[in-house]
Amino acid sequence: MRKLLCILALLAGAAHAQDAYVIGVSAAMTGPVAPNYAPVVEAMKAYLEHVDGRGGINGRKVRMVVLDDQAQPSRAATNAKQLLDQEKVPMLLNVSLSSTYAPMIAESKRTGVPLYFAGAVCPKETYPPADPLQFCSTAFGANLDSQAALAFVKAQAKDPVRIAFQAMAIPIARAEIDYAEGLSKTLGMTVVEKQISPPPAPDYTPFATKLVEAKPNWVWSWSPWVAQVRTFESMRRLGWNGKYLTWAHLNAEEELARIKDGDFYVVGTNAFLEDNLPVHAEIRAVAARAKLDYPVSYLTEGFVAGLVVEQALRNTPWPPTPQKVLAAMNNLKVDMKGLRGGPLEWTKDNHFRTKQYYRVWRWDRAGNRIVRAQDWQAIEVKR
Amino acid sequence: MQLAVNIAVLASIYALICCGYVLIYRVSRVLSLAHGELMLLGAYGLYATASLFKGHPLLALAAAAALALMVGAAVYLALMWRMTGESVLAAVLATIALGILLRGAMILVFGTQTQYPLRDLGWSNASVPVFGARISTVGLALVLATAAVYLGLFAFLRWTRWGIRMRAAGQHPLLAAQRGIGLHGVYALAWGLATFTGGMAGMLIACDAGLEGTLVIIGFKAFPAALVGGLDSLVGALVGSLVVAAAEVLLIHHVDPLLSDVVPFAVLLAMLAVRPWGLFGTREELDRV
Amino acid sequence: MSGYFRIRYSEDSALLDTRTQKAWFAAFLVALAVYPFFAGALWLDLANQVLLGSIGAVALMLLTGYAGQISLGHAGLLAAGAFTTGILCKELGAAFWLTLPASAAVGALLGLIFGLPSLRLRGLYLAVSTLALHFIVVFLGGEYETKRGFSTGIVIESPIASALGWYFALLAAAAATLLLALNLLRSRTGRAWRAVHGREAVAEALGISVQRAKLSAFVVSSTLTAVAGCLFAYFRGFVSAEAFSLYLTIQYVAMIIIGGMGSLLGALLGTAFVVLFPYVIDGGMRLLGVADRLASVVFAVNYAAFGLVMILFLVFEPQGLVGLWRRVQNWFQLWPFKQRPLAK
Repeated sequence: MRKLLCILALLAGAAHAQDAYVIGVSAAMTGPVAPNYAPVVEAMKAYLEHVDGRGGINGRKVRMVVLDDQAQPSRAATNAKQLLDQEKVPMLLNVSLSSTYAPMIAESKRTGVPLYFAGAVCPKETYPPADPLQFCSTAFGANLDSQAALAFVKAQAKDPVRIAFQAMAIPIARAEIDYAEGLSKTLGMTVVEKQISPPPAPDYTPFATKLVEAKPNWVWSWSPWVAQVRTFESMRRLGWNGKYLTWAHLNAEEELARIKDGDFYVVGTNAFLEDNLPVHAEIRAVAARAKLDYPVSYLTEGFVAGLVVEQALRNTPWPPTPQKVLAAMNNLKVDMKGLRGGPLEWTKDNHFRTKQYYRVWRWDRAGNRIVRAQDWQAIEVKR
Repeated sequence: MQLAVNIAVLASIYALICCGYVLIYRVSRVLSLAHGELMLLGAYGLYATASLFKGHPLLALAAAAALALMVGAAVYLALMWRMTGESVLAAVLATIALGILLRGAMILVFGTQTQYPLRDLGWSNASVPVFGARISTVGLALVLATAAVYLGLFAFLRWTRWGIRMRAAGQHPLLAAQRGIGLHGVYALAWGLATFTGGMAGMLIACDAGLEGTLVIIGFKAFPAALVGGLDSLVGALVGSLVVAAAEVLLIHHVDPLLSDVVPFAVLLAMLAVRPWGLFGTREELDRV
Repeated sequence: MSGYFRIRYSEDSALLDTRTQKAWFAAFLVALAVYPFFAGALWLDLANQVLLGSIGAVALMLLTGYAGQISLGHAGLLAAGAFTTGILCKELGAAFWLTLPASAAVGALLGLIFGLPSLRLRGLYLAVSTLALHFIVVFLGGEYETKRGFSTGIVIESPIASALGWYFALLAAAAATLLLALNLLRSRTGRAWRAVHGREAVAEALGISVQRAKLSAFVVSSTLTAVAGCLFAYFRGFVSAEAFSLYLTIQYVAMIIIGGMGSLLGALLGTAFVVLFPYVIDGGMRLLGVADRLASVVFAVNYAAFGLVMILFLVFEPQGLVGLWRRVQNWFQLWPFKQRPLAK
């Protein structure tokens, strides 16, 4: 596996290694959920190699030690131990399922090394008041996503809103939808139905039936993509014509083109390839050089993480220690080059970001392309 | 009415998967816990033939079905024949191990990305109105396919030579062997048919919802339906599937959608406590060592 | 005639009788005691995992290998122990000396419930009922997690901090489990289990209460497993429902099958095999030079290889690693002969 390869590389290239910033990553590189997380790591790696090629950070190279945890908590624990005790990394990253968080948090606390979540939902502890060692740059924002979604619904709706909710029966999704339910009531919307579907369901039609019978005109769904899209497709087949709002996962751009439905909205924080920004050309170039075989639209999150890591290490004076890296991360402002609505800012109190920007997209049948339904809207991240 | 349609579709899914469990158990008294993976294999077979025979969807379907049949027989001839006569636990574990092996092999060959065979076949999954409710085209295909498969199996087992041989081998293998029935051939055929029906179920589910690794878990969820009906009765498989599907859909609708995950197993437990051999199964000694 | 005669019953049922055996055992104990000081961090962690796994494996071996009751609900029992620990820690702030007996008690109770079907069902149907119970237990655990807001799992403070500390604690726990198992097997209960496994009707005719024997097997096995679950929770420092999948049960069953059914040594060997297997595969892949190409699907290779090895053992070596070990032993002991004589 890569970890033993990397150890050999470390021994072999000892002279070079001493001059490099090293970061440790435990990621779900393989396994059933890997398609969501492996692209993030690959993109980050490709970007950091690109940075190395441009002269490195503060004149030194950056090295990523990636260990596969297959989204299993016990493996994540072992990986963390190895990265901290053997590789002695000053920054630890987690690009894996939320069930791997707890063991890595425990390890990070034990050694005082900052833990940066770059793959899955940001834990609540990164919101202000933030836990001293946990940081997060991932697009999802618990509670914030629902705030943005419901704000969009309220802005767009011409009639009184009858809203229904959908979530997969995993604790994080359920917590989010429960919050959204409460929030929607304060916004004057009528909640008509809430359906939680177990993963995986052989047929989403029974859940869709219940939803359609309640006759909502809007549906907000926040789950892994499969639950979101299948419920939508089942609802459409049952003859429902309302508007469906859902979270933009890595594959959202591709899926919008596949589904081709004008009332299927996705809300997210990362810019789409559609916008054709200069940074997208950079991403394409980096991906081509590293010969990544993921669709380029999957690489945004990894690129964001790469930008953050680069900036954090740039602000860390040599030689790097966990405390210096922590100090740099506690006072960070990263230019996202348009990939997000604004710069990513971390402070001592806020390890999530000070402002979260959202855009909403849908498919335009007439023009046969993706269009923006709403441009960057900022939500302040407060206590 | 929509509820009835939903129950029909779900019951068809379960029934189609169950008849595989039942066929193998009835004929060779082995519980095949690799059925979920064989379903997935059938679905991947369709994905492969769809890309091979681009533009000829019916040919792709037929090829995939034939492939499933052959793979089932091959599984028996390669592995399961060695497990005849071994203890129950060993045989079940051999199927579990086979399932694990197949899963790993499929990921190595096909990767973990979700595929959409229906799109590759060039068809779309439209919605069809029926009796005031709506059903998807694939859902309708599922119901029809299940009906066809069951009718075909009933006819096969009752009136054809090989079918009678299969029933004989299932009832009393020793006597059947002494009467001149080649047991290996019968068992291979049973495995082939089971994989064929399971593969069909897998293909249809993949057409409806997309092809990814979680298909295996659906195969597993159908397992209580087989047990509730009786592991060696096809009628039982139908009835069991209806019962479990009805319980699931009604609970989702009237009580709590979360229970739909646990309900099949709760029904199973209740059945095991009251009547372990199922509604229509033969009352066995429950001991095969 | 070996010149070594037993004149007391205690000698007959002793675990170690000859001086050579005792000497080897003492050497083994010394090796175990100094191992952590020579092993690297990874190897120490692996040793800890093997020790922890062996508790569960021994428990399952007692149930399935000796008493002959098939159970596919092992992960559910582990989950029960772990969740009891988690719930008590979070709700009551309970300490270790309270959670451990509580987990054992919950395990015993569940063992009774899991064991009730065994009174009516055998073989396949028993396996299925234990499977159903496993799903229900894990579902309840997941519900607790969600309802109480621990969406990423329940974090627990572990009383032992260092890997070295864990090594000795787990070594003591595994040794205690092994000793308990050995003693049970030498006693009346163990003999009753073996009799029930052999032929139930005959056991009944001999006056052994078959129901008592089956239930006691389930209860003892589940108690040990729940204790293993409690230790799991502390070792990992957290509890989450996703960790207790069917695959975990299959791994434990593989441990006893590959180790060799009906032998405690088999349980230990099997545990070591299953825990070390992925690392062996990685090493093999590196040796074959395919590590780079297959790096992204190494888990699939693991899966496939695991299935393949299980099949090979089931088909060609039903007695597992212990069977292999006995063959090797025989070869050396009997050389230049090949087989043991039929007449004693």
